Amino acid sequence: MNIKILFLPILLPFLAGILCILGRKQRIFTEGISLIAAAVNLFIAFVLFGKNLNFNLPWLGFGIDVSFRLYHFSAFIILAAAGFGFLVTLYSLFFMRAKEHLGQFYAYLLISLAFINGAVLADNLVVLLFFWEGLLMSLFGMIAIGNKNAFKTATKAFVINGVTDLCMMIGIVLTAHLAGTLTISKINLPLGLGASLAFILLMIGAISKAGSMPFHSWIPDAATDAPLPFMALIPAALEKLLGIYFLARISLDMFQLTHESWLSVLLMTVGVITILLAVMMALVQKDYKRLLSYHAISQVGYMILGIGTAIPVGIIGGLFHMINHAMYKSCLFLTGGSVEKQAGTTNLEKLGGLGIKMPVTLICFVITAASISGVWPFNGFFSKELVYDAALERGLLFYLCAIAGSFFTAASFLKLGHAAFFGKASSENKQVKEAPLGMLVPMIVIAAGCIIFGVFNSLPLKHLIEPILGAKLNGHHFAGMPGNIKLIIISVIVLVAAIVNHIFGVLMKGSGLKALDYIRYAPILSGIYNKAEKRFFDPYEIGLKVVNLVSALSWKIDRGVDWVYEKFSVKTVYALSMQIRNLQNGNYSLYLGLSIVSAALVFLLFFAGL
Amino acid sequence: MHLNYIVLVALVLAALWTVMTRSLIRAAIGLAATSAILTIIMFRLNSPLAAVFELSVCAGLISVLFVSTISLTQPLTKEEVLAHMKERLGRFWFLPFLVVAIGLILSFIQFKFNLKLPAPEVEKDVRAVLWNLRQLDLLGQIIILITGVFGVVILFRERLRK
Amino acid sequence: MSHLLILVPFCCVIILNLPIRKVMRSLAPVAAIVLSLLQVLMVLCFDCHFWQTKFGIIGTFFKFNLVADKLAILMLLCIGIVSFVTAVIGRALIKERKERFDFASLILISLSALNGIVLVRDIFSLYVFLEIAAVISFILIAFKTNILAYEGAFKYIIFSAVASIFLLCGTALLLITSGSTDFSQINASLTAQAFSPSIVLAVGLFLVGLFIKAGVVPFHWWLPDAYSEAPSPVSVYLAGIVTKAVGVYALIRVAVSVFGMHKSICAVFLLLGAITIVAGAIAAITQSDFKRMLSYSSISQVGYIILALGSGTSLGVAAACFHLFNHAIFKSLLFVNAAAVEQQTGTRDMDRVCGLSQRMPVTGLTSVLGSLSCAGIPPLAGFWSKLLIVIALLSTGHFVYAAVAVLASIITLGYFLVMQRKVFFGKISEEFINIKEAGLGIVVPEIILAAITVGVGIFFPVILNRFILPLGG
Repeated sequence: MNIKILFLPILLPFLAGILCILGRKQRIFTEGISLIAAAVNLFIAFVLFGKNLNFNLPWLGFGIDVSFRLYHFSAFIILAAAGFGFLVTLYSLFFMRAKEHLGQFYAYLLISLAFINGAVLADNLVVLLFFWEGLLMSLFGMIAIGNKNAFKTATKAFVINGVTDLCMMIGIVLTAHLAGTLTISKINLPLGLGASLAFILLMIGAISKAGSMPFHSWIPDAATDAPLPFMALIPAALEKLLGIYFLARISLDMFQLTHESWLSVLLMTVGVITILLAVMMALVQKDYKRLLSYHAISQVGYMILGIGTAIPVGIIGGLFHMINHAMYKSCLFLTGGSVEKQAGTTNLEKLGGLGIKMPVTLICFVITAASISGVWPFNGFFSKELVYDAALERGLLFYLCAIAGSFFTAASFLKLGHAAFFGKASSENKQVKEAPLGMLVPMIVIAAGCIIFGVFNSLPLKHLIEPILGAKLNGHHFAGMPGNIKLIIISVIVLVAAIVNHIFGVLMKGSGLKALDYIRYAPILSGIYNKAEKRFFDPYEIGLKVVNLVSALSWKIDRGVDWVYEKFSVKTVYALSMQIRNLQNGNYSLYLGLSIVSAALVFLLFFAGL
Repeated sequence: MHLNYIVLVALVLAALWTVMTRSLIRAAIGLAATSAILTIIMFRLNSPLAAVFELSVCAGLISVLFVSTISLTQPLTKEEVLAHMKERLGRFWFLPFLVVAIGLILSFIQFKFNLKLPAPEVEKDVRAVLWNLRQLDLLGQIIILITGVFGVVILFRERLRK
Repeated sequence: MSHLLILVPFCCVIILNLPIRKVMRSLAPVAAIVLSLLQVLMVLCFDCHFWQTKFGIIGTFFKFNLVADKLAILMLLCIGIVSFVTAVIGRALIKERKERFDFASLILISLSALNGIVLVRDIFSLYVFLEIAAVISFILIAFKTNILAYEGAFKYIIFSAVASIFLLCGTALLLITSGSTDFSQINASLTAQAFSPSIVLAVGLFLVGLFIKAGVVPFHWWLPDAYSEAPSPVSVYLAGIVTKAVGVYALIRVAVSVFGMHKSICAVFLLLGAITIVAGAIAAITQSDFKRMLSYSSISQVGYIILALGSGTSLGVAAACFHLFNHAIFKSLLFVNAAAVEQQTGTRDMDRVCGLSQRMPVTGLTSVLGSLSCAGIPPLAGFWSKLLIVIALLSTGHFVYAAVAVLASIITLGYFLVMQRKVFFGKISEEFINIKEAGLGIVVPEIILAAITVGVGIFFPVILNRFILPLGG
């Protein structure tokens, strides 16, 4: 096979995206182009899967080569990305039909696909960075074409990711300096002081791309402002894939991360904090998409926790959770899209009783919600059990946090499902119908995937995940039912507790939506929640305040300097000038006296100089 | 010998006239005359170079300076002059004492100048010195005198017109 | 040939004063213009060797000790240009024929006096010619014969007398310590014997005398009054060349040829130069009288020349001479501008006039050029000489003085911009709505001087190697 085929998954969607922008007036044309491109991309991904290819072309010198490396991990990510890309494109054909900026939307979608393929294939840090930054561009564009608040949100996303990408850029420079090469597959650094710093910087780039705390705050805003297929594709699926892929690459290949390292503890800490805080925010959301977006953040925590444990079971669990999450979360967003399309809103207070009207959507939602909550036999259960196993091995606290996250996840999905699909239908929802087939197909496919990956979990684990670690597994296999029965029992108890909690809440407040209000208005938590809803804890807002403060300070300093130049120096000179004027008062004796004294001084100076 | 006495007496007379006269112009002219007589004494003391300098500087330049300066001033009336002299006495009574004191101090300080005095140029007479060595200065002095006259004419003419 | 530079103007004055008044009165201004122009052309056409040749019977009759080296030639050129300009605008500005004649005669005498200062090689002769220039200056300053003019003249006389006393004492001491008044002989005897107290006293007296003549701060008290109260053509002449030749050129000549650049002399130059620059520039800022402001500016620029001299290197001397030349050109230009403004508006108060550029375009433009050159803005001539000064200072390690020179340049720009804003820019005030551009007699000199400033600036690379660097010797 010609090695130049590696350019295809990058160039094809990119060129198709450019065509979409050029032909933005013709809806059929852009839709056709993008669907065909997504399909061909999926086909290429299939063809490429299972192959090992290396491509290297000297480019800028200084070790900056155009080099691509196709192996099972990158092929797997490309395949997954192409799959989601195709399904979301298909979904968008119906969802986006009446929306504006159609051409731009498809263009950004395809360009994102191209850049993700490029970033995944890249075997050179600079090439990787090129595609990574390119994604930032399409991210900005995609958010910005949403509703009228979208531009602000897009700026927020751009700034946050821009800052973290800057960290990553510095990390890349540092890594290249330490390793002496830019080729990713040749880097294998022990974690010294400098390498730790480089690792942290690269890690910031990776987890920010995955949407972890504290770089998450644009995602909930984007959920309400950006077009929904964007949410289903980019933050839910592609960015998780890419971010976790890169995190796995730096932890597994580029740096020798072991479970003794403090960086492992750092990663796990970031993971559990993300799990807990994000899920706590998800609990109290009253918007379908916003709630999902907080889960999208929360679930990243499991992946980071899994990879951060730096033991095989955790890494396998984290990576498995990555692909599982991509599936159920994008499907969940798609159900959200169906609801939005059909009911006209995603505000949970206005929704209710949709289950009878939209049975297929309901079924897909139930499957994926069970999956995210970790219900056997869906895929989320298996990946979470693996992560729990690893977390318990590394420390009880991590495990407890993870399991608590699981409890809240289940509770919030019970609330979401109850509020949206059951209960009493509001008057506006009387006429709601099931979504069109084109939108249902992607949901059904993904929901089916959730079941398949759960029931036949050996299929993804053996063929997709385990080859990534290869020899590090020492022949262990993680397929089938988890070995630790105690953990399963605890998980089941947690789920049961969540259901009991929900029933209790419904009985207390009388509605599914308000089932969790007792947590929302708990004594201490209510204050924190109030502040959180005012974005008091948003790092971006804090950053903005700091920037404003710095700029105000700079303004003051600037004025001060200006004052020194404009007022102080001028006034001093004028005062001096007036002094000299006053000295020149027409008094001859004074003049002569001063001259004689000066002459004496000159003589003194003259003598002193000799 | 007799000439020396005559010259010395003339010197004292000229100096006294310079000091005593009330007209500034006359005082300036008296000063010039004093300088001219001093030049003769110097020449008789076998130092023609010093004599030449004295003649050119004091009799020539300084006088012109004084004349042109005075031509710019307004002559005082008699009463004003008297009042002015009184006031001057009040203001500068300490000057003689100061001069004596400085003289005493200077007499105690031993100045050691490494002087290289030119040899007495007995054989040169003043015309030769003036013409052969200081021809340019002579020209300069002629110019300066003409200029002084010119200035006095211009400025006095203006004064008269007013 | 250099004899003629002194003798011809003097003889010319004698002839003009012959008792055929009617013819001579109309001839005198023309004679002044022609003679000064002739001097410029002669200096430009012939080099040093020409001036050293003997000229027939006059050369054998007059046994003057005159030497025309490169520095002297440069000064002769300056004298020619500024005298020409002064004679032209004097003819334009002085209306009465009798006064015109007097003025032209004085210019002619001063031409021979200034040429004498430049050419002599004897400190006593130098003193004599300085004194001629001083006497001419008194008469010129008092030329208007009003009370302010007398005050200015009187101040100058007082200070000039003090300076003369200092110079004479110095000369006398030098004569008795070295036995001669010739430059080279004094220099030889000074280098032969170490600096004894009497020599230090002699050199110090001489220098202080010249400082007073040059108007170096803190000996500058006479200068603002003398410059600003003199009639406009006289201001141009005094500021442009007379005090520069009398004080600054004499200082350069004496420091270089007689005393040698001893390090303690250099230290005095550096300190006084820096003080002069800063004090002059600062004092200029708050002046509201156009000519008074230019006088302080002139003081400040003299500071630059002294400072350059203080670096003690041949580059420093070359830079000082070059700045002397540039200053003669641009300060004359600015004083001519002031004369034009005073002539047309009848006032020198910068707070009263406004927006004159609209009505007097040539004056406005040339004053901008002069100001910028003075402030040292490239590519005008003033920039290059200031650059050379700073380079000379830096190359001898006087970083602080170099910084002072550069920073004072900013103040210079400051007060010139204030002047430009007040006088030439902005909207013209009602009072002066009907004024016109000055006559040809003023506009032509303005254009000539501005052209020289711009031309020297633009052709600086040629001028640097051919004329300026050889000045340092």
